[in-house]
Amino acid sequence: MPVEYLPIMASNSAPKPPRVLTAPAKPSWHPIAKPVDRSRVAILTSAALRLAHQQPFIPREDLSFRLVSSDPSAGALVIDHHSGIGSVPKQDPEIVFPRTALANLVGRGTVGALSPVHVSFMGGLRKHREIETELAPAIADELAKAQVDLALLVPY
Amino acid sequence: MSKVTPPRAVFVDHPVGRTFGPPHDRARNEAVLTRTLAELANMTQPGEIRDPGFQWSADGSRSWEEELRAEMLHDR
Repeated sequence: MPVEYLPIMASNSAPKPPRVLTAPAKPSWHPIAKPVDRSRVAILTSAALRLAHQQPFIPREDLSFRLVSSDPSAGALVIDHHSGIGSVPKQDPEIVFPRTALANLVGRGTVGALSPVHVSFMGGLRKHREIETELAPAIADELAKAQVDLALLVPY
Repeated sequence: MSKVTPPRAVFVDHPVGRTFGPPHDRARNEAVLTRTLAELANMTQPGEIRDPGFQWSADGSRSWEEELRAEMLHDR
């Protein structure tokens, strides 16, 4: 039986009201056009993660995003998200942002190609309308520019 | 996950914040990612959530749940 996270999150939110989970206004389905071994893949993370030299995220309602090089040697990763789960992933951000694993799978031919950049943003925001009308379209534009076939979102 | 209707999803039954395994375990990172991506070919319906049967502890123990609750309750 999986952990029921929602009651814990509601408790965390106090004295603010619990976060309301919302489904997108438009269907987000898109069929997969190519097999994984012919696809260019990007990782999306809601960990408010960045390269150390990039501008920090500002908790808790930061609607910006960062483009993070997909090259595992590009530099150290920092997680700005203030979640209570952060102490472990901050020791090794690759457990929520597997950029080395993905690069290795490209090297083996399991995955077709790496997107030049992955995308990071702040999870747990309450500005749902702005996420849908501003943040998500801006990220989609970046993925289109990078000619990404598959985007793997790893929720934080 | 089902409440936010992602296009397609893979359920990883690990502690939240350790999706791809314990810190510094690159073999496990790769194993989880490989299995996750392999599920894509099986997902043809909007909103489908696949459960490949990932488990955190080799023996199936769920003792990690109490530690996780304590960690999460620090998020104030």
